[in-house]
Amino acid sequence: MKKAWLIGLNTFKESLRKKTLYILLVVAFVVIGASKAFSFLTAEEELKMIKDVSFSGIEFFGALIAIFISLTAISNEIEKRTIYTLFSKPITRQNFFIGKLFGTILILLLNFILMSLFFIGLLIFKKSPPDIQVFKTLLLIFIELILIGSITLTVATFASDAFNVIFSFFLYIVGHLTSYGNQLADRTENLILKGLWKVLYTVVPNYENFNIRDKVVVGIDVSWQYVFKTGIYGILYLAVILLIGSYFIQKREI
Amino acid sequence: MSVIEIKELTKYYYIGRNKVVIGLENVSFNVEEGEIYGILGPNGSGKTTCLKLLLGILYPTSGEISILGKNQFDIEMKKNVGFLPENPYYYDYLTGPELLKFYGKLFEIPDKIINKRIEKLLFLVKLHEVKKLALKHYSKGMLERIGLAASLINDPKILILDEPTTGLDPIGCIETRDLLIQLKKEGKTILLSSHFLSEVERVCDRITIFHRGYLLATGKLDELIQKYKAEGLEDLFVKTIQEFDQKGEKK
Ligand SMILES: Nc1ncnc2c1ncn2[C@@H]1O[C@H](COP(=O)(O)OP(=O)(O)OP(=O)(O)O)[C@@H](O)[C@H]1O
Ligand SMILES: [Mg+2]
Repeated sequence: MKKAWLIGLNTFKESLRKKTLYILLVVAFVVIGASKAFSFLTAEEELKMIKDVSFSGIEFFGALIAIFISLTAISNEIEKRTIYTLFSKPITRQNFFIGKLFGTILILLLNFILMSLFFIGLLIFKKSPPDIQVFKTLLLIFIELILIGSITLTVATFASDAFNVIFSFFLYIVGHLTSYGNQLADRTENLILKGLWKVLYTVVPNYENFNIRDKVVVGIDVSWQYVFKTGIYGILYLAVILLIGSYFIQKREI
Repeated sequence: MSVIEIKELTKYYYIGRNKVVIGLENVSFNVEEGEIYGILGPNGSGKTTCLKLLLGILYPTSGEISILGKNQFDIEMKKNVGFLPENPYYYDYLTGPELLKFYGKLFEIPDKIINKRIEKLLFLVKLHEVKKLALKHYSKGMLERIGLAASLINDPKILILDEPTTGLDPIGCIETRDLLIQLKKEGKTILLSSHFLSEVERVCDRITIFHRGYLLATGKLDELIQKYKAEGLEDLFVKTIQEFDQKGEKK
């Protein structure tokens, strides 16, 4: 675990110095900042607008960052051949994989905190300090981002970058539509099709579960129970994904 | 005593569905404690493949490897091994000392000892004046040097070097050669691959010649030269390879 942590820190450090991510961060700031440009709205409407755009922006740019870093976390080491030296050291391939996950989460956390602080600053500036519901929304978004990143990281253990990036974005979209899938399943009479929809609904990560912003923005409270339940779902899904990734990284020919 | 034992080692690379490339074919040899052992061979003969198999970076198709009595994936064993890959490349945005520190920590060496060693090693490979320079600004030869330092960070019993002098200037080559002889005196075992026959001639106690994945000859240099009635290492090299290719043609 300590070795994984060292590898994670190294990944984090590299990425900080590379500075490419800062561009995304700047764009995110601009988007969040732009949400207060609608000055023709009433104060209440404007606040809603800020929250809506900010939550969506943090989630969307967070997802971009998550996919972007985990996509290259492993393939960079292979392409630059740094992996040869690394694997000659007394570490397991699981150490390496989990290390890359730690690194990804650290980078994600930093970006997430910066975006959230900017957003919260904006709320305070508008004399409406964030309530607990805002933090619940942010927490769930962050868990979703970790899930998105770890799925991309796991796919990277066996697939090419090109496939991975398409697959990850596809999953990102589908993962937000799963509830429609479930409704479809309930409606179809055909048993095979029904089963298929149900399986898909279970296998595909249900990103939409983590989305409570629609409610929070209009002032509907979301219970801790829901947050907790969704958190558990995220952790279980993550555990399965990591098992798959550990298996494939072990088998991988480099 | 053998510190490295390789038995009937074979590695096939599968490209696409049906195409197989021979990386190494049924190779066996041992490296004795305290010697410098050289793997020679033309481009694509399987030298790098062999070294990567030894470090558990590649999985063998068949055969067995034992290093210090353990298999090649053993974590404890790896603490006693240093490795320099061919044309080494490291993390662009780290500096030399940071790189050495990172690797040192993976060996679980206490910070105090690592820091001391870093100073010593940077001096040894003549990079002590560019401590603040990021590796992405390093020249090819500098990368080779920091790689050599990195392979020594754990003060290994066994040193495995893949073409340690490519990219180095003549003086760098001589320095590396002297360093290898020095390390041997300290009791380390060194396994290296090289193209530079004259260099191999000067430092290696025993050699082995690879060609197209096959081991053609192995033993003490003078004995081999006698056996093949060659005039020197270069002649030996050419003779063994020609002999092998002619046999292949007859078949
Ligand atoms: N990852 C790989 N996939 C497919 N074939 C490979 C791979 N790596 C090596 N080979 C093939 O295996 C053979 C041996 O390659 P290897 O790199 O071990 O040679 P080498 O002796 O180190 O050569 P050089 O002196 O050029 O470094 C070559 O035919 C090479 O094309
Ligand atoms: Mg090679």
